[in-house]
Amino acid sequence: MSATVRLVPVQEVYDDLLNRTLSRISCDLGRLIYLASTRDYNTGSYYHEGLASRFSPEVARKALEMAHRQAFYKVSGFSLEDLAGDLEAYLRSTRESPQEFLRTWQRLEPYRIAIPTEVNLTVARLFTSNLRLALAILRSRQEPSQSHR
Amino acid sequence: MIGTPSALIGAVVLLVLILVWIRADSTSRHLPSTLDEWLPDQGDAVEICPPEFVSQVFSGQDLAFISRLESPDLKRQFLRERSAVALLWVQQTTAAIRRIMRRHLEASRLSEDIEFAMEARIFLEYARLRLICAVLFLLIGLAGPQRLHGMALSADKLTQRIGNVLREFESGARTGEMDGARSS
Repeated sequence: MSATVRLVPVQEVYDDLLNRTLSRISCDLGRLIYLASTRDYNTGSYYHEGLASRFSPEVARKALEMAHRQAFYKVSGFSLEDLAGDLEAYLRSTRESPQEFLRTWQRLEPYRIAIPTEVNLTVARLFTSNLRLALAILRSRQEPSQSHR
Repeated sequence: MIGTPSALIGAVVLLVLILVWIRADSTSRHLPSTLDEWLPDQGDAVEICPPEFVSQVFSGQDLAFISRLESPDLKRQFLRERSAVALLWVQQTTAAIRRIMRRHLEASRLSEDIEFAMEARIFLEYARLRLICAVLFLLIGLAGPQRLHGMALSADKLTQRIGNVLREFESGARTGEMDGARSS
């Protein structure tokens, strides 16, 4: 490995994150939740072991922040139909019981933690509002199938 | 002279408007979440709502999807949720434009070469926008955001136009100050 310090643009690190890590996650909501999980709850700064060691912690932090904001705006821009489909894909990827998952998400609303800092308040509310609705839609689809059993 | 029936009609209309206003205000205060308490500080630095999201909040696409599901409960929840988001956008827009105007008035007070025609135009646009926002605030609860798509988009465009005019004004004032400093 070369000892010389190379200035890496954030875009390059972002592309690396996109190609190596995010592309392995099957849905946009999953990518958003993954990116939000790289943010420290206490300090609000982002950290990713692999990126920080390959590039630098500072550039990695910026790339993660950028990716998080982009993923957030992408999911917030989904129509309800698309969001319900994406939520269903995320639910399947967790391999949890759908009833348990839906009940917990409706009660605890863990998706709130996926909102980046300094985003527009209307978009943030649209995001939580649409997720509440998408959960209600999936739950209403579950209920008839449960009553048939 | 105003007759008794006209005065009565006027009073009823006024009463209805006040009731609708109270209802809209109450909806915007008691939104179905505690998001305001949870969200990080939303100071001056927070960006304005991107136009595509304004279009989405007031669009009829999601309502059409919900209607196809044929669930009255889901439809009721959707209308409640979407109205709350739309009301929040109206409040945010009103607050943003008020903040922009306040900044502009402060800058105008310090400026030496004020163009009265320009100031009057800005003020009229501002008054128009405030009126549209007030009408939107009233009608969202009554008609639903989906029927107000065009009005919301025009309010958004007007906000951007006022913002751009004031930005140009501020950069012009700064250039003037720099030229003045150079010549003195």
